[in-house]
Amino acid sequence: MTNRVLDAKIPKGPLADKWTNYKFDSKLVNPANKRKYSVIVVGTGLAGASAAATLAELGYKVTAITMHDSPRRAHSIAAQGGINGAKNYQNDGDSVHRLFYDTIKGGDYRAREANVHRLAEVSVNIIDQCVAQGVPFARDYGGLLDNRSFGGAQVSRTFYARGQTGQQLLIGAYHALMRMVGEKRVELLARREMLDLVVVDGKARGVIVRNLVTGETERYAADAVLICTGGYSNVYYLSTSARMSNATAAWRCYKRGAAYGNPCYVQIHPTCIPVSGDHQSKLTLMSESLRNDGRVWVPKAVGDKRPPSEIPDEERDYYLERIYPSFGNLAPRDVSSRAAKRLCDEGRGVGRSGLAVYLDFRDAIKRDGMDVIKEKYGNLFDMYHHITDENPYDLPMRIYPAVHYTMGGLWVDYNLMSNVPGLFVLGEANFSDHGANRLGASALMQGLADGYFVVPATLANYLGGTKFDKVDTQNPAFADAERDTKARVEKLINIKGTRTVDDFHKALGKIMWEYVGMGRTEAGLKKALVELPKLRQEFWSDLRVLGDSKDYNLELEKAGRVADFIELGELMARDALDRDESCGGHFREEHQTADGEALRNDEKFTNVSAWFYEGADKDPTVQREELVWEYVKPSVRSYK
Amino acid sequence: MSANHSHSATSTQKAPASMTLTLKVWRQSGPHSEGRFEEYKVDGIVPDMSFLEMMDVLNQKLIKAGIEQVSFDHDCREGICGTCLMVINGSAHGPDRGVTTCQLHMRRFQDGDTIVIEPARAKAFPIIKDLSINRSAFDRITASGGFISVSTGNAPDANSILISKTAADLAMDAAACIGCGACVASCKNASAMLFTSAKVSHFALLPQGQPERTDRVLGMVKQMDIEGFGNCTNTGACEAACPKEITLENIARMNREYLRAMLVTRKS
Amino acid sequence: MLHFLRSSVGKKFIMGLSGLGLSGFVFAHMTGNLLVFKGAEAYNMYGHFMTHNPAYPLISWSLVLMMLVHAFLGILLTKENHSARPSAYAVQASPAKSVTTASKTMIFSGSILLVFIITHLATFKYGNHYDVEYGGQTVRDLHRLMVEAFQNPAFVVWYVVALIVMGVHLRHGVSSIFQSLGFNHPRYTPTIKWIGIVYAIVVAAGFISQPIYVYLVHQG
Repeated sequence: MTNRVLDAKIPKGPLADKWTNYKFDSKLVNPANKRKYSVIVVGTGLAGASAAATLAELGYKVTAITMHDSPRRAHSIAAQGGINGAKNYQNDGDSVHRLFYDTIKGGDYRAREANVHRLAEVSVNIIDQCVAQGVPFARDYGGLLDNRSFGGAQVSRTFYARGQTGQQLLIGAYHALMRMVGEKRVELLARREMLDLVVVDGKARGVIVRNLVTGETERYAADAVLICTGGYSNVYYLSTSARMSNATAAWRCYKRGAAYGNPCYVQIHPTCIPVSGDHQSKLTLMSESLRNDGRVWVPKAVGDKRPPSEIPDEERDYYLERIYPSFGNLAPRDVSSRAAKRLCDEGRGVGRSGLAVYLDFRDAIKRDGMDVIKEKYGNLFDMYHHITDENPYDLPMRIYPAVHYTMGGLWVDYNLMSNVPGLFVLGEANFSDHGANRLGASALMQGLADGYFVVPATLANYLGGTKFDKVDTQNPAFADAERDTKARVEKLINIKGTRTVDDFHKALGKIMWEYVGMGRTEAGLKKALVELPKLRQEFWSDLRVLGDSKDYNLELEKAGRVADFIELGELMARDALDRDESCGGHFREEHQTADGEALRNDEKFTNVSAWFYEGADKDPTVQREELVWEYVKPSVRSYK
Repeated sequence: MSANHSHSATSTQKAPASMTLTLKVWRQSGPHSEGRFEEYKVDGIVPDMSFLEMMDVLNQKLIKAGIEQVSFDHDCREGICGTCLMVINGSAHGPDRGVTTCQLHMRRFQDGDTIVIEPARAKAFPIIKDLSINRSAFDRITASGGFISVSTGNAPDANSILISKTAADLAMDAAACIGCGACVASCKNASAMLFTSAKVSHFALLPQGQPERTDRVLGMVKQMDIEGFGNCTNTGACEAACPKEITLENIARMNREYLRAMLVTRKS
Repeated sequence: MLHFLRSSVGKKFIMGLSGLGLSGFVFAHMTGNLLVFKGAEAYNMYGHFMTHNPAYPLISWSLVLMMLVHAFLGILLTKENHSARPSAYAVQASPAKSVTTASKTMIFSGSILLVFIITHLATFKYGNHYDVEYGGQTVRDLHRLMVEAFQNPAFVVWYVVALIVMGVHLRHGVSSIFQSLGFNHPRYTPTIKWIGIVYAIVVAAGFISQPIYVYLVHQG
């Protein structure tokens, strides 16, 4: 049985010294011994690629697994706006402590102090590392690095590479990884999907993967397994995640005993291109950086359907500037999203559907000139133009909130190790650093912090302090897991029902958005907990997947992922019901202030909910890790 | 509660006209099997759909009719991951410049059109199935020098390296490559020069790239040739097809870099 | 060095370098031959001078070498390129993504030029040898040979066609040389492309004017 005691293993000492002390006290693996240890890294996005590259540089035997055809495709690539780093290059009063504080507050006081402080500390090293790798960050005319501001912060600490920062950082990590692949220090396995975790004597010792091209299952053994497979936004069907982004690897770990932390914490991003119709297959984000220069507004009057150019300034409601004067258009994501939803619910939304607000660059273009705006946001404007067929240089953009990021994930301790020893979880796949709401430009930071700087230290501590029995793929645990995997794949293809995978996925998305979306109620969540098991049953009795399991079969891949999404959706609803408060991205309509802001219940919920799998037909159980405030005093989170 | 989903979002004042299209799609069950065109009709296609959403409509229809779906690779659907390369009416990523297939919208087509959809064709990009191809040759080219060798942990302060805005911008132009392979697909010679030169240029333009300048270009060109890509004949088809509008200037730069490297290298 | 010659970039470089030499030659050849408009003596004395100066062996052999290298590499590259892209697409690319026909057909235009050059050399360099005397000096009467040759309208037509093909080849070739040798700059390349087109037209038109002039003016 896996460990069910949630010990965060936070190092002793003052907050600012914890990480330094940890590294000093940590067990080490001497250079000659490192090659004796093997590590499997699942997922090669920012967290996975950076971890695989760094661990290989250190001398470990690394196997990197990706479901994509190349590590360069991971969805980290789509992050647009930037990455935070507490460099204080702008001399505007930034510091490690301020980044730490902003992140804790931004997360609505639901993250661990020690983790977040470490994140802020290593943020400066990330920028250095990336520049050394040749990441072409934006520069000013003197040749120094440029910064912009992001939501939830009053300083400019965001480094960016046009609107393609995620791409450039991922490509940087990909280069580092490919260097190690070229030197044969990393074995790269592409187009393979992890379908099970192999646990031997309570320790994570390997994975079962399906070779997506041949359809064969394969076994890989190691001394530690790193899950770097991103978040689960696609539970909602429509999200800003890539179509292949999925929760399967993490969900399989949960089913093998790893706890799932805070599954109900979902970030709804305020600036996405609105849905245009039923055919919509995914949503596209417009970077938050646009809110540096764009002004968000709706008409003052309900049902005002005039074109935006005919609505004079005095009849416009620049509501973010009005409600949150000190942060204005840069209010945090959860706050901005809910404000947009409230106004649309009032009937003041714009566009064909009435489910959109304006993001207007008229004043910025007037102030700075067309060229400056083009230089800053050109590719984002082009993308908007392509998708909507409207030119944002002439017309204000229409935006609406959409599911974008999941703060929840597998529970990990300070070492980024789950409660299953040897199972590490990095990046968006873990629950750790963002509390109940993530600040803009912090996802890239966390992915790279975990991969480049945190796990190389904490993995050594684990490997150096653990005795390993020899385990290879002939171990019966591998045979068992492989048999389960094969049976599940065959089951999916043999249902031979009538409805397609997308049918079910859309149905799931509808339930989740309706009841476990931006505003949640007890009644709605209870309804979801009735609907979701029903959907699960229909799925397993009426799914149609054509083709062969021993072949490149994209529908079969999707089917497995959607099956897991349905189960995860249920856990999200359960967690949302259980967390009877509002905090960050989790908004329970029963708990709000007079002006509609989230109302926390610190007395009862200053903790992390970690869910344990109890078996197919049993309800999961929850345990709580209490959050201890040593340096920050939780207060009402105000951006006014 | 308002729903971002489905019906409520489409309560339009005027519904956009829907189209019926004939698709000629390349079907091939595996790398070594014979392929052929199959003709399918799809209807209910609206102008706001992306090309891939139209392909979704096709696949849903096929599955419901008991015909196995068309394999096509795609992921981010926002023009940045580089997965969704296909050849549409003879053009990689479709008729327009500067767009990927996922950012091509059906408003570009008309009711009654016939669209021919093929996989990218190049010996170095073997077909896996239908429109899905194997582009791992690009990964191997990258592994042969497309990086800066800085192990994690000892980088100098980021602002200790001054880089002119012009150099940073040009490097960014080159680094914008998404590795989709449209350059190879559109080139009559299936040459990978635009891809390779974009990476060579990205680093050649930056001070951080200088220490490995010589070995990088030699290694990458060597691997590119081993992979079986064709030669460059300066037609410019790659530049026209590149969704990120990477220019031939990069290939010229690589030619210079290569000549220089050949003259100064101490390796035989 | 062998590595360089075997590599795709190296081959391209050599192709550009030999192309540079050959395009320079055709221009010089064309301008020199314009003396046909001046008269037989000027034309023949020019021919004599060109073939009787100390640089002649060097120039002619390097031209032969460049020709052979250019043709050999052209054929080799085409073979390799066909193997890199064994099958074509069912449809032609859209206008926005199309490229010039000249650039796609270099091997065809080049092959025609190869045949042309062989017949040209056979007709003139290795054709009938007439002598003529100017002020006591005996020189080869190439003018007479040429007038005889261009009495045949079919031969004139063949020349005109072949020279148009040369223009097409140069239309892509000349500006392409710069790209292959590594010169591409947004400030200069548009001009280079424009010069390449003018160059091709001037060379082709200059050459074509000659057989037509001879055919029309020097009737029997």
